[in-house]
Amino acid sequence: MKIGVYFCTCGTNISDRIDGEKVREKLAATGLVSYFKICPLLCSEDGKRFLEQDLLAERPDRIVIAACSPREHEATFMRVMAPAGMNPYLMQMVNIREQIAWVTKDPAKAVQKTALAIKAALKRVELHEMLEKQGLEASPAVLVIGAGPAGLRATLTLAEAGRKVTLVEKTPVIGGLPVMYEELFPNLECGPCMLEPLMGEVLHGDYAGNIELLTMAEVDEVAGYFGNFVVKVRQRPRYVDQQQCIGCGECFEPCPVSGPNPFNAGMDERKAIAFPFPGALPNAPSIDPALCIRFTEGADCCACSSACPMGEGVVLFDDQERIVERQVGAIVIATGAGLYDCSRFPDLGYGRLTDVRTAFEFERMLASNGPGGGEILTSRGEPPQSVAFIHCVGSLDDEHQPYCSGICCQYAFKFNHLLESKLPDARIHHLHREIVSPGKEEYALHQAARSNPRATFTRYANLGDMKVIDQEGRQTVRLTDAADIIADLVVLCPAVVPHADAERLSAMLDASQDRFGFFEEVHGRMDSARSKMRGIYLAGACQAPADIQRATSQGMAASGHILSELVEGRTIELDPLFASVYPERCAGCKVCGKVCPYRAISFDDENNVSVVNAVLCHGCGTCAAACPMGAIKANQFTNGMILAEIEGVLK
Amino acid sequence: MSTPIEQTNAASASPPAEFEPRIIGFLCNWCSYAGADKAGSSQAPYPPNVSIVKVMCTGRIDPEFILQAFKMGADGVIILACHPGDCHYKEGNLRAAQRHAMLARILEQMGIGRVRCRFDYVSAGEGDKYIQVITDMVATIRRLGPLTL
Repeated sequence: MKIGVYFCTCGTNISDRIDGEKVREKLAATGLVSYFKICPLLCSEDGKRFLEQDLLAERPDRIVIAACSPREHEATFMRVMAPAGMNPYLMQMVNIREQIAWVTKDPAKAVQKTALAIKAALKRVELHEMLEKQGLEASPAVLVIGAGPAGLRATLTLAEAGRKVTLVEKTPVIGGLPVMYEELFPNLECGPCMLEPLMGEVLHGDYAGNIELLTMAEVDEVAGYFGNFVVKVRQRPRYVDQQQCIGCGECFEPCPVSGPNPFNAGMDERKAIAFPFPGALPNAPSIDPALCIRFTEGADCCACSSACPMGEGVVLFDDQERIVERQVGAIVIATGAGLYDCSRFPDLGYGRLTDVRTAFEFERMLASNGPGGGEILTSRGEPPQSVAFIHCVGSLDDEHQPYCSGICCQYAFKFNHLLESKLPDARIHHLHREIVSPGKEEYALHQAARSNPRATFTRYANLGDMKVIDQEGRQTVRLTDAADIIADLVVLCPAVVPHADAERLSAMLDASQDRFGFFEEVHGRMDSARSKMRGIYLAGACQAPADIQRATSQGMAASGHILSELVEGRTIELDPLFASVYPERCAGCKVCGKVCPYRAISFDDENNVSVVNAVLCHGCGTCAAACPMGAIKANQFTNGMILAEIEGVLK
Repeated sequence: MSTPIEQTNAASASPPAEFEPRIIGFLCNWCSYAGADKAGSSQAPYPPNVSIVKVMCTGRIDPEFILQAFKMGADGVIILACHPGDCHYKEGNLRAAQRHAMLARILEQMGIGRVRCRFDYVSAGEGDKYIQVITDMVATIRRLGPLTL
C-alpha cells in the first residue's frame, strides 16, 4: 500500500520546534512510508494547489497530513482530495502544531513524539475505508404542534416559503394565551389585535392554501425520522361545520344547559354550544359533549340547530372523531408552557379563598370579553380598595422552580398600570423576591409602577413564610419581617412551568426534556430552536419561559433551520460517520439499543439482530463500545483503527 | 477501603532516573481535544509523554482498548471527557465514567492499579486544566515507575 506523508512546516510555527528531516529519518525505519514531503503552509492557496497536483502525480492509496489541529484544516484538506480523485476519508491528520510543536520544550523529544504520532496515523490509515456522504429522499412538509404565537409564526413563515404545513392545535381556538389578554406588556397593545394579522394570514391569507389547520386535535403517534416522519393526529369532533357556520352565535341563547367556562378559569359559565370567548378564531362554536344533554342524557334536543340561520346541517350532532395521517419531514414543537399550581403554597389560600386569584384569572377579569366584562370586583361584588400582587410564586425557589420565569414582573407592572386607570383610588402592593426588567422597552412599566404614589414594594425572603388570612371578607397578607398588608384582592404570579403535555410528547417524539421538564435544546445560547433529536425543532415557551417576542423569534428561527436543513428537491446529506451492525456477529442481546442516546437502534425480530438507522445515528460510537460481540462498526473509528493507532504509538 | 498505590506497585518502587512514562490519552473530539488545542495556543510547555488518541465521544472507549494499551506497553492511560451536561452526544461522557469506574476495580485486581488509568473532565475552554491534569498524570506515573506485566 502506497502511503504518503505531508509534513507541513506551518510557516515556521512547526519547523522552528520540530526538525522534519529528523522525523523523516525516524520514520524511514518503520517501512510504512512510501514518501515523506516537507511543505510550507499546506493550507495556503499555493499549498493546496501543490497538494492536489502532488496527489494526482503520486496516486497514493492513503495519506497522512502532519500539520495543525484537524479542527483547523481537516475539512480544507478533505476538499482538496476529492478533485484529486481521492476519497477524502483515506486521510489521517496528525496534530503536530497545537499538541506537539507549541508545547514541547525539548526538540529531541518533540521529534520523537511527532514520529510516534505519525507512525500511529500510518498504522491507522492503512485500515481506512472509502466513505461516501449519502443522500436521503425527504418530505418537505412540516408539522407544527401548537397554534400560539410561536407556532403561528413558524407556520406562516414556512407556508410563505411554499411549504405544506399541518398546524395542530389542542383547543378549539388559535392564538395561544396572549389572545385572551386585553392588553400586553410592554406597550399595552391589545392581544387579539396584535395577533389578528398573523391569525388572519394563517386562516385566509395568500398562503393559507399551504396550511392545514386542525383544531381540537392532538398528535397521537409519530413514527420515522428526520425527513420521513409519519404522524397520526386525533381530531375531536367540533359538532359544527366550520365551512358553513358564519359565527353569528344565534345558537347559544336557546341552548338549555351551561357549565363552567375553562377559558375564564371557571369564573363564569358557558352554554353547551359556545365560543371559548367572543372573538375567538376560527370563528365557529363547538359543542362540549360533557355538557350537551344529547350526549349526557340522550335527549332529543335540537335547540341550537333549530336556531341556526344557515339552516339544518351546520350543527352536526353525528360528527365523529377522526384520525388524520400525514407524512412530514420536520416537526416543530410549539406547545407553550403551563403555570405553576399555586395551591402548592397552601398558606397563600389559593383555591380556598375566593379573592386570591392567579395572574391568568386576573387577566380574564381585566378583559372586556372576560367573565365580568372587564369590571374588577371582589367576591362581595365591590371594587377592591387594595390589591396585593405576590410575585415569584414558585419561581426562584429551590423547593419549587429554581429559575426566574422572566415575564411575571412585566405583567405585574402592567396590572399596576391598568389598575391605576381603572380604580384610581385603589392601593397596590407588590410583594416580591426579586424584580427584573431587562430589555429596551421593558423598564418603562417598572418605572411607572415605582412612581405610582399609591403603590408599595415589599421584598420577602421566603414565600413559605407568607400567609394570607381571611378576615371578615378582606385578606391580610402576613409576613415574618414586615407589617401586615390588607388587601381585598390578592393576585398570585405563578412560575412558568413545562406544559402538562410535555412528558407525553417528549416520549412520543424522543425529544428530551431538561431538568425542569422543558424541551431540551441543542445549546442554550447558540442553538435553542433545535431539539437534540434531528428533525424536531423547538419554538416558544416549550423550551423555556418566553415572552411573545422570544416566542415568535424562535418560531422564525425554527423555520429558518427547516428551510436550510430540509430543502425542497434536495436530499438530506448523511454524514458517513455512523454505526452499523454486522448481522452475522450480532447475538441479539440489545445492549446497543439501550445505550444509544438517540434511539437510532431498533431490533429486527425476524432476523434477531439489531439495526442502526443511519439518519438518526450521530456517530458517537457508544454502541460499538458496549457491544460484547464486537458486532458494531463505527465508521472511521473501528476497533481495528483505534487499536492500530495505540499499537503505532507503543510498539 | 483504599489500596495503597505504593504497595500495589512495590516491585517498581525505585524507578530508573531516565524512565519516561508512555501514556495513552483518549480525548473526545468536542471538548477535551479542543481543550488540548487551547493549551497549545497558550504555548505553555508540558511533559510530552501523553500520546493522544482522538475519539468522537468518550462513550466510544471500549475498556478493551485500555487493557490492550497496557498490554502493548503503556504505563498509564488517561481519559478526558466533556463535563457532565456538556456531552455533544447527551451522555456518552457519563457512560465512559461508569465504564471507567468498573474497569478501575478490575485493574486493581489485576495488579495494574487504578491510578494508572485516570478519568477526568476537560472542557474546550480549559487549556490550563488540561496542562495541569497531564502534568499531574505524568508525575504520578513517573513516581510509580514502568508497568511490568
